[in-house]
Amino acid sequence: MKAQVARIMDDSITPPLPATVSQPAASVVGVSKRFGKTSVLENISFDVAEGEALVLLGASGSGKTTILRIIAGLEQPYTGKIMLHGREVTELPARERGVGVIFQSYALFPKMTVEKNIGYGLRIRRRRRKEIRNTVNELLSLVQLEEHRKKYPSQLSGGQQQRVAIARTLAYKPEVLLFDEPFGALDAQTRVHLRREIRALLKKVNVPAIFITHDQEEALELGDRIAVINVGHIEQIGTPREVYNNPATEYVATFLGAANILEGTITHGHVVVGSAQMPARLLDDRFHDGQAIKLIFRPEDVLLNKTQEFPVGHVCLSSGVVEEISFVGAYERLRIRLEASGGACETTDQPYYLTTETPERQNAKPVIATRPKPETNAFRLHAGDRVFLGLSSFTILPNDARTSATSHPIITPSKQ
Amino acid sequence: MMMPLVFLPLASIFIFGTSSGLGNFWSALMAPEAVFALKLSMVTSFWATTFNVLFGLFAAYVLSRYNFLGRNALIVTISLPTAIPTAVAGFALLLLWGPYGTLGRFLRPQGIQVMFTAGAIVLANIFVTFPLAFGVIKPVFDTMSRSLEEASATIGATRWQTFWHVTLPSLRGAIVSGALLTFARAVGEFGSTILVSGNLAGRTQTAPLYIFAKFNEGQIEAANAIAIVLALFSFLIFSVLFFARDWLDVD
Repeated sequence: MKAQVARIMDDSITPPLPATVSQPAASVVGVSKRFGKTSVLENISFDVAEGEALVLLGASGSGKTTILRIIAGLEQPYTGKIMLHGREVTELPARERGVGVIFQSYALFPKMTVEKNIGYGLRIRRRRRKEIRNTVNELLSLVQLEEHRKKYPSQLSGGQQQRVAIARTLAYKPEVLLFDEPFGALDAQTRVHLRREIRALLKKVNVPAIFITHDQEEALELGDRIAVINVGHIEQIGTPREVYNNPATEYVATFLGAANILEGTITHGHVVVGSAQMPARLLDDRFHDGQAIKLIFRPEDVLLNKTQEFPVGHVCLSSGVVEEISFVGAYERLRIRLEASGGACETTDQPYYLTTETPERQNAKPVIATRPKPETNAFRLHAGDRVFLGLSSFTILPNDARTSATSHPIITPSKQ
Repeated sequence: MMMPLVFLPLASIFIFGTSSGLGNFWSALMAPEAVFALKLSMVTSFWATTFNVLFGLFAAYVLSRYNFLGRNALIVTISLPTAIPTAVAGFALLLLWGPYGTLGRFLRPQGIQVMFTAGAIVLANIFVTFPLAFGVIKPVFDTMSRSLEEASATIGATRWQTFWHVTLPSLRGAIVSGALLTFARAVGEFGSTILVSGNLAGRTQTAPLYIFAKFNEGQIEAANAIAIVLALFSFLIFSVLFFARDWLDVD
């Protein structure tokens, strides 16, 4: 089953994807994999367009590395096939596929100098010496390692080793580059610096790339698109904005960034959470009256206000009491407990409904909100203050656990 | 402790050997039978080493890269000669290849004699030093990152190219030290060679056998000259082993 891409309902702009008029650079079609009796991948399918960077994001053990190894030809799939530029390569051994793998450990050959490492692919292809020398020189200047050409890998820093590993694969013009946790072995600062460098490098050489990572920040920054992998299947695939703003599943919402999740029901076209209710124009007939749902919203989408008069584009959720405020540098994080009764926002257009949820249970779950500095300064809050919570964006998913991996339209007040 | 047990016996070889002057030492060393014995030791040890390093390399590759039924049993079998007394090893070879041995009795009518030749010494050396190179090379294979070989494969190398360009260079240090160990052990081998070689002076007498023979004949100086050479030789190999690992394994 192919995960559907969430339709964007807010005003985010989808970055234009590289033209997909021709065939994709790489396709994974219905791949599944078993180790013994354990199924590690279930029916994985996705395409990578020419020049595109796709990130496979998942926790360790999600099977993302196995997907990479299957594309590289280092593992065989149980079912399904791998296509590279329209050519099926499922049966080909790794060495005939022409993919470039940048291993987590970089796997540079320790007994070869930088230039020997880079020239390896051409040497084993028995290219002429002059051609090898020219290609190596070009690549050395591309990755800015000219002065290190005679050094051995152990004499280089992690970032330099990574650049050698990339240049080594670029030498034989790979069909696709596969990066296995490329920044796992580096410290936080180098990591941020390097992923910008790699992003720029990839744009320059225009080779499609697939990244494997468990780091959501890395995924958002590196990927033209992100595929979120969970226990062997794709939860959602889409642009970073789509995946972040319109998570298709609860897993995606919580794995990518922080999310508040409240259980509720649909009642007369309203989202009802505890004693709170919000008007919600439902765009999908899969939501029906009385259905159990989950209301998902990000801490930064919560606007706190003294009154229930919210600016246009916000929907008032409920009132609550600030329990705790913590200062986390760039912003302020607040824990707010929704009020059990009488906290509901007044709405004029619809009657008032209660859910089947007991107020006690709803109240057990506090909401986390974050506020940037200007907002913090404009409206100072202290623990114990009573505030109204407005949402600028939220997602509603049917509350039937994992069975439905597809996205459902979300309701965003700004478009109403 | 070390003094009477190790240093004094060694020192006494040198003290005794040079006591009657370097000239005597030199003429004892240059006796035709002595020269032959030293040469024979070197040549037979060389072939045993060559065989065992190649075999050890192959066995280590197969046993660390592939998992199959009976793998551990095979590892134990290969390592077994370490524990077998050398005299038993020599005796076993006699029972197999000797004129009335299991195989030897079929070869004798063809005019092929295996025992009591230089070939027999090589066979004995191979048997006794069998696990040494394997034992040094296998751990290096085991700890070698698989991703190097996988990287080489994705870059487009065949299995053989990968072995030659990537795997082998990382094994350089292990191969050299495995070879030196094997060689040193083979040169000094006594227990098995005395049984299989026949100990014929000038034909199948290796250096350790020469020492033994001359000592029995009461020619202490002749025995001592060779003893000094063998002792110096083992010092040499030991110091190479000691320092070589460092410069062979520099990345």
